Amino acid sequence: MKTHRSPRFAIILGLASALSHAQGNTPPAPAPGSGPLTIPVISRFENFGEKDGLPSHKVHCLLKASDGRLWIGTPNGLCVRQDNGTFRRFGTEDGLSHLTVLSIAEDPATGDLWIATLQGLTRLSGGKFTAFTQTNSGLPNNVVYGVAVAEGTVWAATAAGTGAYDLKAKAWKPYDQTNSVMNEPWCYAVAPGKGVIYLGVWAGGVVEHDPHTGSFKAYRDPDGEFHIAFAADSGPIVDVTSWVAYDQGILWQASYFGLARYNTNSATWRTWVQDKTPLLSNFINTIFAHGRLGWAATDRGVSVTDGDNWVNYLVDKDGHGVVQIYRPGKPTETRTMATALPDGFIMAVWADDHEAWFATSNGLSHGVFTLPADSPALTSNP
Amino acid sequence: MKLKRSLFVAMTAAPALMAVVLGGGYGLRAHQRIKSGRPDLGFVSCNHCHQKSLAKLPWAQLRPHHDSPGGMVLSPDGKRLFIALDDKDEVAEADVATLAVLRRAKVPGGPFGLALDGSGERLFVACSHVDQVAVLDTHDLAEKGRVIVGVRPTDIAFCQTRDGEHLVVTNSGSDDISVLTPSPLAEVARISGGREPYAVTVTDGGRRVYVANRMAVHDGVLATPASEVTVLDPANGHIVDRLALDSAHMAEGITAVPKKGWVLNSMIRVRNLVPITQVKDGWVMTSGLAISQADGAVTQVPLDEANAYFSDPSGVVASPDGRRAFVASGGSDVVTVVDLDWLESWLARASAAERGDAILDMAFSYHYVLARIPTGCNPKHLALSPDGSRLFVAERLDDGVLVVDSASLKPLGRIVLGDGGRDDPIRQGERVFTRARYTFQGGFDCRSCHADGHVDGLSYDFDGSGVGDNLLDNRSLCGVAGTEPFKWNGKNPTLQYQDGPRFARVLMRTDPIPDPQLDELATFILHLPPTRTVPWDQVGKPLTPAQQRGRDLFFATKRPNGTPIPRSRQCQVCHRPPLYTNRLIASVGTQGPRDPKEGFDTPHLIGVGASAPYLHDGRARTLEEIWTVYQVNDLHGVSSYWTKLQLNDMVEYLKTL
Repeated sequence: MKTHRSPRFAIILGLASALSHAQGNTPPAPAPGSGPLTIPVISRFENFGEKDGLPSHKVHCLLKASDGRLWIGTPNGLCVRQDNGTFRRFGTEDGLSHLTVLSIAEDPATGDLWIATLQGLTRLSGGKFTAFTQTNSGLPNNVVYGVAVAEGTVWAATAAGTGAYDLKAKAWKPYDQTNSVMNEPWCYAVAPGKGVIYLGVWAGGVVEHDPHTGSFKAYRDPDGEFHIAFAADSGPIVDVTSWVAYDQGILWQASYFGLARYNTNSATWRTWVQDKTPLLSNFINTIFAHGRLGWAATDRGVSVTDGDNWVNYLVDKDGHGVVQIYRPGKPTETRTMATALPDGFIMAVWADDHEAWFATSNGLSHGVFTLPADSPALTSNP
Repeated sequence: MKLKRSLFVAMTAAPALMAVVLGGGYGLRAHQRIKSGRPDLGFVSCNHCHQKSLAKLPWAQLRPHHDSPGGMVLSPDGKRLFIALDDKDEVAEADVATLAVLRRAKVPGGPFGLALDGSGERLFVACSHVDQVAVLDTHDLAEKGRVIVGVRPTDIAFCQTRDGEHLVVTNSGSDDISVLTPSPLAEVARISGGREPYAVTVTDGGRRVYVANRMAVHDGVLATPASEVTVLDPANGHIVDRLALDSAHMAEGITAVPKKGWVLNSMIRVRNLVPITQVKDGWVMTSGLAISQADGAVTQVPLDEANAYFSDPSGVVASPDGRRAFVASGGSDVVTVVDLDWLESWLARASAAERGDAILDMAFSYHYVLARIPTGCNPKHLALSPDGSRLFVAERLDDGVLVVDSASLKPLGRIVLGDGGRDDPIRQGERVFTRARYTFQGGFDCRSCHADGHVDGLSYDFDGSGVGDNLLDNRSLCGVAGTEPFKWNGKNPTLQYQDGPRFARVLMRTDPIPDPQLDELATFILHLPPTRTVPWDQVGKPLTPAQQRGRDLFFATKRPNGTPIPRSRQCQVCHRPPLYTNRLIASVGTQGPRDPKEGFDTPHLIGVGASAPYLHDGRARTLEEIWTVYQVNDLHGVSSYWTKLQLNDMVEYLKTL
């Protein structure tokens, strides 16, 4: 007796066979810690201070612009490292709104720089400074902590909310606790995401805003406890956000109580605190995102991680540079370096595939990598 | 009996009538005082508050349109001249050899600036009235597409960049510059310019674009203003430089100078902080040229002579060999021919001080001015044939294009576009408006401060004694119909009074404008419509939520806690719609140390978004500053309860007026 099998059954059988075959041939995902280290390691530091022409021993922020020049924010003005390696300072006499520069961003469409200061937001375009203040424009507040430019809008995180300046319409839209999900207006940082904007709100966690739909979404510490992370990997580490950064689907939250990382693709959180994890210090001033790496600027040095592997740079009590390399399942590698960061208090980091720059309380530092710059591991997607 | 009855009626009616009149008068005054919140108010006519509809004002009426030539461009072979006719919504094509108009194409939206691609097959048109760029096929002048750009585009340039073909458009109304791809016709970048980007030129084989910005800006009412020449990379839209033209404005023309690597732009060297009485000494406005060299140095040189001025310089072109430039002076009906070789040799040997002082030397121009070519009325745009042999001068108010042999400097003929409109009193008034003959030695004309009838963004020292300072913000003439009286002190009841003998004494320093011309001038000004402050595609659209909130604040009669706002401090009482002025003198706490008294004419707010700076002396650089810096005890409207967000909403609303 013939047995007839339906076409549908044959298709299902065929698919199942193909699937098992594929699974059988796919190599398993590498265990964390195996394979080569995918974080660049700095082999030496080159340090610059006032003797080199920097206007201040303290450096607040950094930006390497698209034209290759390094812009440096200090308490004594804005500074640029010129092609010949010298530093040129700009102050209020040049049109800068205030000497204390807290953050710098570049408009990718025009090359203009936007500079956040303690007394307003300044645009540097074609060598000309134009100041936007709370009295002459719709900037919510003169104390501007962070600035970013995305899709033709300048976002300014201020002490009284976040202002969005539409460059085409030349119109401001201010956001604070009265018209958003912020619980208070003190905004420390702003970072463009994929079609959204992330705001670092003091005691408000991270606020995600979609400017196309006007919607807001708050990411809050699930345990609501400032000093202790009761539930790891469950959300922002705390609600006190000191900085936010985003690149390639990864949102980083810096705080004074630890570090958090949100994978926007899988909607999963990871959190780290000092002593229990390789994070160098809970006190993180800012975080810089490049590819899948987060560079945490802490009060004890720099921690850079891809979420599994860590490389820390610190200065020991004798002033020697120390590098610590953590890889899951492997013993921690600690080395003394021939050179060191000028100070362990790191305010900001800027990094790409080739180099890293550090803003410290005692000058500017240039970190030179040993890992080949064209290593695919540095820039591959998570 | 009849007489008794008549007497009785008269004796009872007269007092009754008097009672009615007196009672009515008292009642009327009471009504006015109550409604305005001004107990000090004497009798004023009803129409201060009960204004006529905007639709009845002169500028809202139909008017004749004229064949006023705007931008021009020659075909690559030099045989065809394309002319923009913005008032007629047309582009005309003329035969250069016969000077005949071959055909006209309808291009809706006020075509003003023109550019051709390298092959001459595509004509790009900046349509100023509708904020668009259109592309026409030059074979049949058929429109092939449009794209939205910024507000009031005035000029356009085609360039071949390292990243392909691009167009650069100056958006005078939105203070920005658009970079477009021609195919597909699309905007790829919008860059912030100076104030009123107006004219554009391409240099260095398409590697650089220079934009002349018409108006100057300043850091404070007592600061020397400067306008900007914006330099950008047309490939990526990045700003390369922002050159400052110190104490200069009205830069309406710009051109690259071949072989020398220069950029020339026409300008007025304005000394607005010098008492206006200095007009007779030539010390208020000097028409000139700014020379921007490749190394970034900018030098200003005069076009004027010691006792003769050539006002309203605009269109400028340079010969292909870079040896001569031609500059149109719209107020003097002249094109000046400039020897660039002489200037080049002088620049090579002049010290920095000499370069800086050149603009101040009224005898300097005789070194390099080769000739002055008389033209018809109000020459504005210029074009030069590719071989440099023919100069084309757009005579804007004569509806024609003068054609000049550039070697002999003799006129060859005229491309006639229209009849000149001499039977149109508005057109006649515009001629008065743009003619410098009514000022001392032809130093300037009305348009020199009121380009297109609007503001120049400056405050002028109108002190009559010549020793003090009496800074007054330059007010827009656009939309002034129905807003009399005029002048910041509100003393001039009509435009004829405003621009009559007293004006001649204080500002023009010459004989008054004759009465017939004065009436024509008033007619023209009354027909100037308000300046548009919103993009064309948003005109008539509903207010945004922020604008609506601002409107609610503007018309608020109570604070949020319910306490009433005194009527005299409600925005909508003094700035009463539809003109947004009740045309009365008001004290808003802005009397300055040199103002003789408090109280200034309430300005109309239509177009206020485009008329910075603000207040009677221009001290408020932005609308925000009216309340954040210069508000005194809630005298200028009750704003003390506003949050920053509410102030932002108010500003957004005001920008829609």
